[in-house]
Amino acid sequence: MKKVIVEVKHMDKTFGSTVALNDVSIEVRRGEIQGLIGENGSGKSTVTSIISGMQKADRGEMFFRGEKWEPSSMLFALEKGIGMIVQENGTVPGITVAENIFLGETDQFKTFGIVNRKEMILKGQQALDAIGASHIDAAQMTGSLDMQDRKLIEIAKTMVKKPEVLVVDETTTALSQIGRDIIYKIMNQMKEENKAVIFISHDLDEIMQVCDSLTVLRDGKIIVTFDKEEFDEDRIKTSMIGREMQGDYYRSDYDGSYGSEVVMEMQDVNLADQLKNFNLQIHKGEILGIGGLSHCGMHTLGKVLFGACRPSSGKVSIRGRELKDEADAMREQVGYAAKDRDIESLCLNASIRDNIAIGGFNRFAIHNFLVLPGREKKYVQKQIDELSVKCAEMNQDVSALSGGNKQKVVFGKWIGRGSEILILDCPTRGVDIGVKQAMYQLMYQMKKEGKSIVIISEEMAELIGMADRLIVMKDGEIKKEFQRSESLSESDIIQYMI
Amino acid sequence: MKKNQLKKYIMNLTPLFGLVVLFAAFLILGKIQDINISYGLKSIINQSVVVAVVATGAIFIYTLGSFDISLGASVAVSALIGGMVYNKTENILIMTAVCIGVAVLIGLFNSVLASVFNLPVFVTTIAMLSVLNALILVLIKVNGTGSEIAVPAAAVKGLNNTPFKVVVLLLFFLVSMFIFSFTKIGRMQKFQGGNPVCAKLSGIKEKKMAIIAFAMSGIGVGIGAFLSIIYAPTLTKNTASSVGMDVIIAIVFGGMPVSGGARSKIYAAVIGAFSMTLLSQIMVMFNLNSGIGQMVKAAIFILVVYLATSDQRGKMLPR
Repeated sequence: MKKVIVEVKHMDKTFGSTVALNDVSIEVRRGEIQGLIGENGSGKSTVTSIISGMQKADRGEMFFRGEKWEPSSMLFALEKGIGMIVQENGTVPGITVAENIFLGETDQFKTFGIVNRKEMILKGQQALDAIGASHIDAAQMTGSLDMQDRKLIEIAKTMVKKPEVLVVDETTTALSQIGRDIIYKIMNQMKEENKAVIFISHDLDEIMQVCDSLTVLRDGKIIVTFDKEEFDEDRIKTSMIGREMQGDYYRSDYDGSYGSEVVMEMQDVNLADQLKNFNLQIHKGEILGIGGLSHCGMHTLGKVLFGACRPSSGKVSIRGRELKDEADAMREQVGYAAKDRDIESLCLNASIRDNIAIGGFNRFAIHNFLVLPGREKKYVQKQIDELSVKCAEMNQDVSALSGGNKQKVVFGKWIGRGSEILILDCPTRGVDIGVKQAMYQLMYQMKKEGKSIVIISEEMAELIGMADRLIVMKDGEIKKEFQRSESLSESDIIQYMI
Repeated sequence: MKKNQLKKYIMNLTPLFGLVVLFAAFLILGKIQDINISYGLKSIINQSVVVAVVATGAIFIYTLGSFDISLGASVAVSALIGGMVYNKTENILIMTAVCIGVAVLIGLFNSVLASVFNLPVFVTTIAMLSVLNALILVLIKVNGTGSEIAVPAAAVKGLNNTPFKVVVLLLFFLVSMFIFSFTKIGRMQKFQGGNPVCAKLSGIKEKKMAIIAFAMSGIGVGIGAFLSIIYAPTLTKNTASSVGMDVIIAIVFGGMPVSGGARSKIYAAVIGAFSMTLLSQIMVMFNLNSGIGQMVKAAIFILVVYLATSDQRGKMLPR
């Protein structure tokens, strides 16, 4: 039996009226990667955030290396040996990569009160090299990096402290395969060094492959813990959602037909090295999948389709009319859910109501101008009900919601206003299987209603499962186009991505 | 009522509660010291009304997460030009229109300048402060006696009464509140202040929002300039000199979040302006000299910001 390194006993935690943890007890063992899985809002992040000093429990005890564990902060926990990589963005954009890695600890580089920047950058680069992220320049400004590289900085920042327990909270959803490989390597290395990893992910395949044991949480309670040899996809899913999954996960048909009307078109679009002579047509009632590696240009494509990025040459048009900007796209009933949900799709310090209502003035405001609270509330409540957003009330801060429920709010914002064309960039990132299934069925329903959907995703399975037509991108260009087919497999696609 | 909701309501009502406490303290002290309460109240309204009006307009700028440091100088320039126009036309309505027009133009110039050079708006207001201060001196030198521009006191005497000023403040406040809380524009402004990146991707045009905010602020400044003239028709380089800073303090004092965004409150301006004046008055009643008074004000200012942001500082990352 492996030695227990972290033990949580009878932990309770509430947020207002919401019970986040209810008598939770967990043991984490040395030399193991322990998975935590559960639906959004099941309490996974709450228990790990308490272990890593981000917040305190209302009741219960914790032990680390056999001693009572009461971390006062995340920094304290990291210094003592428990580090956490969070699912939210944890870097400061306006400073260099090295400054982020040594944030709050620049004293170690001070001589007579002056920070030796050269040394700090050197050490920062070493920290990046150590995790295999040498492509990031430690002297670079963090704000100029993409989401994946910013996440890798956080990993370097944590690993530089050589923690004995590493908590990885839904981090891999922000990473491409290259980034995932980096983090898997770190996790396996920690396991070999007889340290421990707590790994949270919604990707069941990933978690079954990586973890040695798996604890399922539901509604703040521990449901079951499986050892590796007991892993069974159906059993895990059933214990997660408390019932057997009913109906289809993706759409079940392989029809792949769509309307002949072109609703959106890109002609000879160029934008730096992200899009090269790009031509694309999106049809009425079509689900168009766009796949590729993270840097292939597909995320930029989503922004260009919504008018958020102006191409350097070429034209984007909606029903024959040239697209100017985001407001123009919205007038033409185009909606866009960005990949970076917390920064680009939501105003986190505003309420659920504010976030849904901001897209729907055309629906509830009198003459698209006058906002009457009664009409607004009715409109927002309708979206909350139809999408089953789990929340205490509509005036609750959206930041208090779990990842899946945040994404539902984003969907509510765009669907509620009657979007005819939806551009969804990584729509199911950080979303549990129950919500994913609901979202896939919603997309399929929208297709049947004649709406057009562009799914940009790094998850090949969801593109194969949902798209009528699938485009594979590489280096800003279309490498291959597939029609919907039962025989289409991930390996067919991957060879054109790499 | 749920605990969190209750806490939220209490936090929201704290500035109003503070105003009520200060008002009660003023009444009790007035009774003890046997001062003329009615006269004292008129004095408080006279002192507060200009700051309250200017701050109400400025809330639109603060909501965007920005601020304008040139508001006091803008009031002075608008009042001086308004005064000059009155002396030429002897028409109060034209004078009022000119005050508002000049102030709106200054505000628009600030926002357009920021758009053209793609600068944060507050940067252009810093430059504008210097320009306006210089303009005050030029206007007084060229068009006045060298030290002042005077509007005949008799011309504005009929308007220099408390009910009129209260009605003007109330009307402007109601219009501002309507735009802020019951129109798409106000809602977009709050969203823009909360997350400009998401606002852009929600079809909100940043420059348009800045222009509207500065136009609203300009109207408040213009009305403030008009009220300044009727309160003190002899305009000097010191006219409205403290308004700029008083507006900033009043807005924070009234419970406006310093970062703007969704929690912005239009009523913060009025509550803050009156609370601040009441506090000054109470300190005078305690015979605190102005130096100590300023220190007490500064301490309370820090305390208010601390309390207002405690909710954010203590916030845990979500589940």
